[in-house]
Amino acid sequence: MNSTKLDRRITILNWTAVATMIINLAVVFLYAPPEKLMGNVQRIFYFHVGAAWVGAVAFFVALVAGILYLRKPDRKYDTIALASVEIGLIFLSMATVAGSVWGKPAWNTWWLWSPRLTMITVAWLTYAAYFMLRGAIEDEEKRGRFAAVYVIVAFLTIILTFLSVRLMRDIHPVLVGGMADSAKGAEQGLQEFEDGLATKMIISLNISVINFSVLFTAWLFNRIRLQHLNESVTALKMRLSNR
Amino acid sequence: MKPTTSSFFSTAWTIAWKDLQIEKHTRQIMSVMVMFSLVTVVMFNFALETNLDAARNVATGLLWATILLAGTLGLNRTMAVERENQAMDTLLMAPINRNAIYAGKVLSTTIFTLALELILVLLFIVFFNKPLWRPPVLLILFLGTIGYVAAGVLIASMSIQTRARDVLLPVLLLPLSLPLVLPAAMATAAYMFPQQPLFAEVQTPIMLIMLYDALMLTAGFTTYHYIVES
Amino acid sequence: MIKIEGLTKNYGTNPVLRGVNLHLQTGEFVTLVGNNGAGKTTLLRIIATLLSPTAGQVSVGGWALPKQSARVRQHLGMVSHQALLYGDLTAGENLTFFARLYELDNAEKRVERALKTVGLFARKRDTVASFSRGMVQRLTIARATLHEPEVLLLDEPYTGLDQDASHLLDDLLRRESENGRTILMITHDLTHGLNLCDRTVILNRGKIAYEVDSQSITPSQFLKIYTNHTRKK
Repeated sequence: MNSTKLDRRITILNWTAVATMIINLAVVFLYAPPEKLMGNVQRIFYFHVGAAWVGAVAFFVALVAGILYLRKPDRKYDTIALASVEIGLIFLSMATVAGSVWGKPAWNTWWLWSPRLTMITVAWLTYAAYFMLRGAIEDEEKRGRFAAVYVIVAFLTIILTFLSVRLMRDIHPVLVGGMADSAKGAEQGLQEFEDGLATKMIISLNISVINFSVLFTAWLFNRIRLQHLNESVTALKMRLSNR
Repeated sequence: MKPTTSSFFSTAWTIAWKDLQIEKHTRQIMSVMVMFSLVTVVMFNFALETNLDAARNVATGLLWATILLAGTLGLNRTMAVERENQAMDTLLMAPINRNAIYAGKVLSTTIFTLALELILVLLFIVFFNKPLWRPPVLLILFLGTIGYVAAGVLIASMSIQTRARDVLLPVLLLPLSLPLVLPAAMATAAYMFPQQPLFAEVQTPIMLIMLYDALMLTAGFTTYHYIVES
Repeated sequence: MIKIEGLTKNYGTNPVLRGVNLHLQTGEFVTLVGNNGAGKTTLLRIIATLLSPTAGQVSVGGWALPKQSARVRQHLGMVSHQALLYGDLTAGENLTFFARLYELDNAEKRVERALKTVGLFARKRDTVASFSRGMVQRLTIARATLHEPEVLLLDEPYTGLDQDASHLLDDLLRRESENGRTILMITHDLTHGLNLCDRTVILNRGKIAYEVDSQSITPSQFLKIYTNHTRKK
């Protein structure tokens, strides 16, 4: 493995991520105007959306890597899938916490069983279980295969959950009326972009999403490199013990 | 000899027949699932402080929760049968389509789960006085079971091959079945009033259940051989 | 009947088989011995179409593995130290199940005949769980040969058998060999079955270390050779 080349690329990526993060912080705190109703606390929304975006992208990357692994069981796909789910789960957690902090002033509660939050909960549980599955399999090749199948089924689950929460609240207003209200609340954040100071906010949001995408890429490569190092240590240990 | 469609179905049925035969001798799966369900229902009654009104309000949700939880026990057992004595190896060495094995396991587990549901429906009618014995409700139960078992057999075939064996199945399977419970419980609840709902009202949840069935069966048939072959 | 050339199998980065070459003529009975971890089971599972090789050529009856596994399967029978049977089914049901899986004609007659051959016809309606180890092993052989396979694979078949059961197994295996089946047996136990086979092969650390015509050597000579070839360096 030409690790020096890989290292150099990662270093560049890391510094790019740091730079975009600084720009993003400056934009969010200095350039973006304060929201008229909620004030400064609304600024967390930029990070919330960025993190949620990364979560979605990461799970999609994991899905693609899973499918590729089943077609050709190359260990690198398994590593990408693992790294993506790990990062996706962390960003999803960050998005949830950030959303919760934002939700307190917006909805006057930390948590609601709104469609979106229901979906996040299902996604979180589904992908957290991914690690339980991996942890229970010793054989590397089998672990990769099972994890790939699971990641595909998990993605289906998220799509189905999305459809369920989206379609059903329309037809059962009595049963899910509470949900519809809260969903409106969640969209408030975006609706407010559309009037008044919209342009500046949308620019900030886009910068935030770009920044988080760079951050995700950097994390992904760092995580892959870590996995390579991990594997070479294991291989060295094996050689030592076989002596 | 090329595997034909008719031999696919007859093989699937042979595998299901074998599971039913085993069950006829041991009665293990049904007794465990029924006892577990019974205990769960009674436990919920106690937990709700024998407040029958409260219990009635959550009865449909409780019905689905019980089915899914008891279902994991049944799934674990039907998979363990193939693990014991490494019987699975003989299935894999036989000149049969791998998907026929999957179909056979889905078939037998569906039969067990449907039998459990019949018992549960009667139980819920007696305990919670709910009008569950209605053709649309039974249809919803049937449709929901297919999707659940389709995902369940796939996941259980994996979990049974891990170090954690049977404890892993609920952790993996229950989150995956949430998008099924959501519409299923809602559609069932719509039928719990003296007046039956219009089809338009339950159309969406029923479509969602069928979509879940279709997607999980597709996932099962396309990935099952990755799980049993190495 | 079985041709193996340059067979390699890795588990992750860990090589288990490193270039195995082995040929079995039709009707030949070969015993493969080796210590634990030599790769015997892996080799057998590859021939049994249960594992895919990492590299190298394997063919059974002219069909290449793993590509033509589906064709090879109907010509394979396997007897292992695991019963490979359903404990909660009766002896008859077990055999009927396999007859149906292999889509055999005259299933009922075949099952009956197979049970008689291994002396279990009287226990047809008893569940396998109630059988002794020796009876289970006899039923396993009945199951493995029900579809008249050309190749019989044996994975430590003597494990857990007492003296009488071992002798019975000897007789059954000798008969299967005389019926013209190609037999490959793997074992780590040098005391059983060596006198039955035509050729003995030593597998050590994923490689064939030694091959000998079984009739041309005495057990004590073989033991010496075996110890020499499998000694840890």
